[in-house]
Amino acid sequence: MFFNYFKTALRSLMRHKLFSSINILGLAMGLAAFILIILFVRNEFSWDSHWDRAEDIYRLENTYVRVGQPDRPTPNAVEPLKQVFFDTFQEVEAIARYIDGGVTLRHDGELFSQQVHFAEPGYLDFFGVDVLKGGFDAASVKLSDLAISERTAEKYFGDAPVLGQKLTLRIGGEFRDFYVSAIIADPEVHSVVQHDFVVPFNREYFAGARWFSEDWRFAYWQTYARFAPGTDMALIRAELPAIVDRFLPKNQQGQENGRNWSMTLGLVNIGDVHLYGNGTNAKPDVLYGFTGVAFLILLIAVVNFLNLSMARTAHRAREVAVRKVLGASRRQVVQQFLGESILLAFGALLLALTMVEIALPYYNEFLSSIIEMNLLGEPAMLGALVLLGVGVGVSAGSFQATYFAMLKPHDVLYSNTASDNGTSKLRQGLVVAQFSISVALMIIAFFVHKQTEFARQLDLGFTADNLIVLSGTNNERSNEIKQRLLESPFIEAVGRSSDVPTEGSEDRLHIRPVTGGDPVMLDGLPTGPDFFKVYEIPLLAGRYLTDAGADVLRDRVEDAEYASAANIVVNEMGAKLLGFETPDAAIGQQVSADLSSSLRVDATIVGVVEDFHFDSARDVIRPGIYYIDFIRNSDMSVRIDGNNRDAAIAAIEQAWHATYPDSILRYRTMDEMVERQYQTDDQLSNILAAFTLLAVLISCMGLYGLASFTAERRTKEIGIRKVLGARLADIVGLMLWQFSKPILIANLIAWPVAFYFLNDWLNGFAYRVELGVLPFLVMGAGALLIGWLTVAGHALAVARSNPINALKHD
Amino acid sequence: MLKLHNLSKVYRTDEVETVALNSVNVEIASGEFVAIMGPSGCGKSTLLNIIGMLDSPSSGDYIFMEENVAGYNEAKLSNIRKQNIGFIFQSFNLIDELTVEENIELALLYHNIPASERRERVAHVMDKVGIAHRAKHMPSQLSGGQQQRVAVARAVVGDQAMILADEPTGNLDSAHGQEVMEMLQQLNEEGTTIVMVTHSPAHADYARRTINLFDGHVVTENLRAAE
Repeated sequence: MFFNYFKTALRSLMRHKLFSSINILGLAMGLAAFILIILFVRNEFSWDSHWDRAEDIYRLENTYVRVGQPDRPTPNAVEPLKQVFFDTFQEVEAIARYIDGGVTLRHDGELFSQQVHFAEPGYLDFFGVDVLKGGFDAASVKLSDLAISERTAEKYFGDAPVLGQKLTLRIGGEFRDFYVSAIIADPEVHSVVQHDFVVPFNREYFAGARWFSEDWRFAYWQTYARFAPGTDMALIRAELPAIVDRFLPKNQQGQENGRNWSMTLGLVNIGDVHLYGNGTNAKPDVLYGFTGVAFLILLIAVVNFLNLSMARTAHRAREVAVRKVLGASRRQVVQQFLGESILLAFGALLLALTMVEIALPYYNEFLSSIIEMNLLGEPAMLGALVLLGVGVGVSAGSFQATYFAMLKPHDVLYSNTASDNGTSKLRQGLVVAQFSISVALMIIAFFVHKQTEFARQLDLGFTADNLIVLSGTNNERSNEIKQRLLESPFIEAVGRSSDVPTEGSEDRLHIRPVTGGDPVMLDGLPTGPDFFKVYEIPLLAGRYLTDAGADVLRDRVEDAEYASAANIVVNEMGAKLLGFETPDAAIGQQVSADLSSSLRVDATIVGVVEDFHFDSARDVIRPGIYYIDFIRNSDMSVRIDGNNRDAAIAAIEQAWHATYPDSILRYRTMDEMVERQYQTDDQLSNILAAFTLLAVLISCMGLYGLASFTAERRTKEIGIRKVLGARLADIVGLMLWQFSKPILIANLIAWPVAFYFLNDWLNGFAYRVELGVLPFLVMGAGALLIGWLTVAGHALAVARSNPINALKHD
Repeated sequence: MLKLHNLSKVYRTDEVETVALNSVNVEIASGEFVAIMGPSGCGKSTLLNIIGMLDSPSSGDYIFMEENVAGYNEAKLSNIRKQNIGFIFQSFNLIDELTVEENIELALLYHNIPASERRERVAHVMDKVGIAHRAKHMPSQLSGGQQQRVAVARAVVGDQAMILADEPTGNLDSAHGQEVMEMLQQLNEEGTTIVMVTHSPAHADYARRTINLFDGHVVTENLRAAE
């Protein structure tokens, strides 16, 4: 019996090759897209699930809070918290801590940059990292021991023996020798703990560093705590504020401009750190959006499958009627068609998996990700896919099966035409659903792209090209390297600042406006004198700051103090906020600025500059105040000659080595930093566009298949119309109109949905494109046009046919 | 074999009520060859459908082999039908995707008959209707007469006691029509009850009794004199 079903099904498929391939291919494409998106999303959500007892491991994160200032989240925890945790929570089984830092490494006379974990004893045990060779036992490890991953060993030593070999690290200003005592397993790609290079923590290394305070002022420990199985984390979290209350010393002064501050503690499961931890770039919302798109595409594909299957029922009604007359029971009919549908779905699934396999390398390149599909190694995934296949098969087949089960044989057997089987309303409804999704996706993709382009072309207020940002120059040789750099003909200007554009400012200064009233808040940015020149930020009134006299708020000297009065520069918005009608009006005026609760400075405005972006384009430009503080000049921005870029970079390398012979030059380029701000949105835009295209394509395949069936079914009607005098254009118009209706209705559904979604999304941007009506209309018309092109072939073929043939069809 | 007592069939739509059969009383004995005649729309096909259990009466009794099946549900009817009744249609109704052999075999697939026996019976019945040389052909490769012979074979392969034929010669030329009629006659002589709807008086002559329907009533019943 089964063989008979199989045979009939297969021959029926072969007889309608075009239809069958559209049906299977459409579903396969939808499934492939679904699998690809889900693989990516799942991959993002599955970081760090490989650790032993990952569900019990939490990262402790500190966020500094200060009234009137933005929160400062850190991925780290302060020194005292480890002991506090052990004392407070019996549930804490173990805590592993390390300081994550970049150092210069010397090997065979060559310098390398190496990311290092300065780890407390027990680090490897805590994470369960496999020691492949040698040993790194907490009990016997020496301070000069090193544990490095296999790939790191290969990088420095190739195939040569590694254990006992020397590597020299520059820590705290001096070179120290270390010896490899253990080779450990490579870290997983999708892990936040990249244990490539583990050095035993030694307090001595950091003793001189300003941030290395053992109190609560600086959080620098990556701190992971493992709780006893079954610990109620809600109870633990509820205790966290009390811990701060009890243990954070009262009225402790913060950094240089310390107001009263406090801190909040967070515990993030290690599996969530990648997406939700402090300092992450990941956007879980986007992932949820993608998941939504994945399901929509799957829906379109399933609807397609359903729709085409139903269209086909007309062709198979006779077969079913005969089977019924011959004694087939309802159950047998249901079995036959469900089985057939499931079989077809599995065929599509196999095809989809092949597509995914082929597409993965390109997909990975597109997303700059490393996604793999290893079905045999993942029974859960395999099971889910099988379930998906069965589900799609059952959902598509059940319509057909139910319809056939209810079919009255004599209705079919006594009519000679393939009847419309009563599902045409439903089919139209499904086409509407498909095109609603497609049109909505088209509109959304269009505006997402438009917004991305808009943000990219936004005037930043400064010139981002040909800017190189160096770090590691905030020291006594800062002026020396600046001089060396300026000697090169390829370097146009060098400026210093505490932060650079795209990074945002963390300082908020409170200043009372000249007009009186409550103090207003301005973003403060400690700079050097050449900052505006380097970033080419135009002056509106007054002058830029210099490096001498009253322009300097704090000089780089031993035990530096802030001056009680200094000249400052504000931006245009700042001047307005302070109550000045025009930039010129602000020049020479004095305001008192609170650098901190205890530090008030008499500031004289000597210059007003144009507004410029300091944060991402998602944020508004804020009022800003700029002053010279030579101690807080972490970043050095170098404007180079764009026509001689290589020479300029060589000159920077040269100046660096002459100034800092023992360390590696690390630099970023401003255009890349700006670009990176748009990267996620860009990626979103591209993925959305690609999958929208796919969705539209699948919808059209469905429409094409349907059109071919409708054309066939309506041949008689059209023959009669032609005999009665209808012209070619009338017939084509008739056919086109039949398919225009569902698309037009789909537009009416898609527009408000797309509008609602887009409005919400665009509200996240400070500078956004407007949602004009025209793109909606154009997309709607586009969908209609695509629909027409899809069915035009059939419409023409039917319209051109000889009416006699059509009528003899009976 | 069967007995229809005061049997009526009314089709209702929202506004119109059509009486297809009105208090029909018909009795057909085992081994009879009955022709049903009448103008278009007189209820011939409805009557045949009800006899064939493809449709249910609105009122009245239908006694089939001592059993009143009038109120039976589809599953029960289907079961009685497949045991006892074979069908032949004007438009043949062969499945396009199956070969001649497979089309005939289909009638046995729903009877739980082992494959070897199925093959034997199909081969036998193909011989009987003279279509064995076309066993592997698809319906579309056969002439109308050949297709109807396959349909006849399919109707009898399950040893059905009764065959219902709805204008079996309607789509055939006269030579092929006669061929099919002779085949039915032969089956009848072997003991199969045959009920046939036809427009052709000549083909009705093959039957021993003719029932004339008009507007849902049985008008006359003519018994053909034994030759």
